[in-house]
Amino acid sequence: MTKPNTGELSPEQGAREEIKSYAVGFVASLLLTAGAFVAVLSDLPSTIAIVLICVAALLQIITHLRNFLHLSFSGNQSREDLLLVLFSAALLTIMAGGTWYIMSDLSARMHGTPGTSAMPHDAANH
Amino acid sequence: MSENKLYPGLNLGDGHAEAHEQAESTVFGFWVFLMSDLIIFGILFASYASYLDPIGIAGGPGPSDLFDIKSVAIQTGFLLFGGVAYGGVSLAVKYEHGRGKVIAWLLVCALLGAGFLFFEVKDFITQAGKGGVPQASGWLSSYWLLVGLHGFHVFSGILWILTSVAQIAFRGLDDVVKVRLSMLGVFWHFLDLIWVGIFSFVFLVPLA
Repeated sequence: MTKPNTGELSPEQGAREEIKSYAVGFVASLLLTAGAFVAVLSDLPSTIAIVLICVAALLQIITHLRNFLHLSFSGNQSREDLLLVLFSAALLTIMAGGTWYIMSDLSARMHGTPGTSAMPHDAANH
Repeated sequence: MSENKLYPGLNLGDGHAEAHEQAESTVFGFWVFLMSDLIIFGILFASYASYLDPIGIAGGPGPSDLFDIKSVAIQTGFLLFGGVAYGGVSLAVKYEHGRGKVIAWLLVCALLGAGFLFFEVKDFITQAGKGGVPQASGWLSSYWLLVGLHGFHVFSGILWILTSVAQIAFRGLDDVVKVRLSMLGVFWHFLDLIWVGIFSFVFLVPLA
């Protein structure tokens, strides 16, 4: 589990470890997906439901990267690959997060009524 | 030399010395492509989120009119199982379970991917019938582009799986094919990862 992609174990042991890693990822993904759907279908206030969905999505993305795409911070992952992924994630955060922040702030300033939040999805249900 | 350099994705391991070393640079190149793809999807997510307000919806049909949460759950299930099924392909290649098993797992992946596409296209048709066409509003344009682009990726993935099956059948599992299967695996799992973002932020957040 700790190093899913090392080739140091004996083949049978390695195979068992890897199947275990896929199984753990699968069960975790299934639970996180179910959790997100239950959060929507339940009567929770929408802010809490949205926070739960975001947390579940983040955890599931980490699970996929770790158990299915076999990226890891530990062990002997080659440096360039990790840098590539981290750099892309940083770019994405700046560009996508920045776009969303600027647009929702602009929307609140231009069209928002005083006292309403800048969260665009709150308004979408009316 | 190669044992200290592991690349993302399932490593073939030293048992496949030639293919293992070739995979190092080839799969890295494929990751560079996927990361550029990730940026495209990320920007589309950002524009979708920006359009998700009454002005973006522009009086057209909104999320609660168009989205069918049951169908989204079915699609999510198909794609999640399809993604995990590729683990069967990777392990069958790595531990040399034979051509038959690799092809069988590949076909399972393709079938689950096709099941996903069936429900997605069905949803698109229903939504268009309710007036939720791309030109109805900015929000719908971004929705069709983002979800449609992901669907197109899944369709390409299925074609890629079928060509891989043909390659395994005609060339056998040689080093070139093994490296190609590693890249296909990274692609297939990546689509599953993007879908996590889509079902969470495109479908569930507006319905919450």
